[in-house]
Amino acid sequence: MISNLITMNGYGLYVWLSFSIVFISCAFVYFKTKKTLKKYEQEFLKKFQTLTIEEKNKALETSKVAQQILAISSKES
Amino acid sequence: MFKFFSSTNIYLIIQKLIKFINSIFVLILIIGLTFALILSPPDYLQGDAVRIMYVHVPSAWLGLACFSVITFLSVLNYIFKIKNFYFINKSLAPIGLLFTCLAIVTGSLWGQPTWGTWWAWDARLTSMLALMLFYTFYILSFKLLNKEELIIKVSSIIAVIGSINLPIIKYSVEWWTTLHQPASIKISGSSTIHTEMMMPLMVMLLVFSLYAALIFLMKYKTEIIRIKKKNIKRN
Repeated sequence: MISNLITMNGYGLYVWLSFSIVFISCAFVYFKTKKTLKKYEQEFLKKFQTLTIEEKNKALETSKVAQQILAISSKES
Repeated sequence: MFKFFSSTNIYLIIQKLIKFINSIFVLILIIGLTFALILSPPDYLQGDAVRIMYVHVPSAWLGLACFSVITFLSVLNYIFKIKNFYFINKSLAPIGLLFTCLAIVTGSLWGQPTWGTWWAWDARLTSMLALMLFYTFYILSFKLLNKEELIIKVSSIIAVIGSINLPIIKYSVEWWTTLHQPASIKISGSSTIHTEMMMPLMVMLLVFSLYAALIFLMKYKTEIIRIKKKNIKRN
């Protein structure tokens, strides 16, 4: 059964190559997108650290996005 | 009502959706692959080569669907200047390009054992290649142009011109004699695909759709952070 699954009656090369290409491409795009997202989160945090205490407080009060990014980064660290 | 669609609320919803998709994705992927590679029967004519359909067809459908949405939102954005649509399109285009490329590559791998050739300049294949080029030009307009207004104008024009190609792709197999087989699944009228093949195809479509949604949400979230970073002092 396993050898049948691999060879697929002579079509194994085409079938497995198709599934592999799809899987590798999708995995590559997923990790690249995730890396970019993390990079922007880090850049946001870096910029946030440069603010004065008043500006930080104001940003946190008015922006839930800032709160979320800070919460996620503090969870991860 | 409009407050609900603020970038902050959207950001919170995106966070929850990403978590939800991440929690169910692997399970659905395993079910889909089990059906596609093991449980579904071989075709009486194409044999096991038919299994390529389970990655080829969802890729092609999503490639077309993404461009349809992009065109619709581009037109709305051009008329009503809704900035969110600009970011949605910017996040959607790379996903559409990925699926269109995958449809072409897997189609080629399906064509070799079925038709005896990797490529033919027939109407369906050529129109899919044209779609890939439209996606490329669309993404390049975001990368190469600087002014946002100009980007919206140029990308909308590309999307509208590219949309003419969508019905050509859909009906190419009916309008011209092509190597590509006619559609087996019809929205109106009866489909010619057996339930044992239809079911895995639908599960794989769900897997691809969830993946597309996940990438879209991550890209859209990146766009929101980019804007918030720019306006951090104004918050």
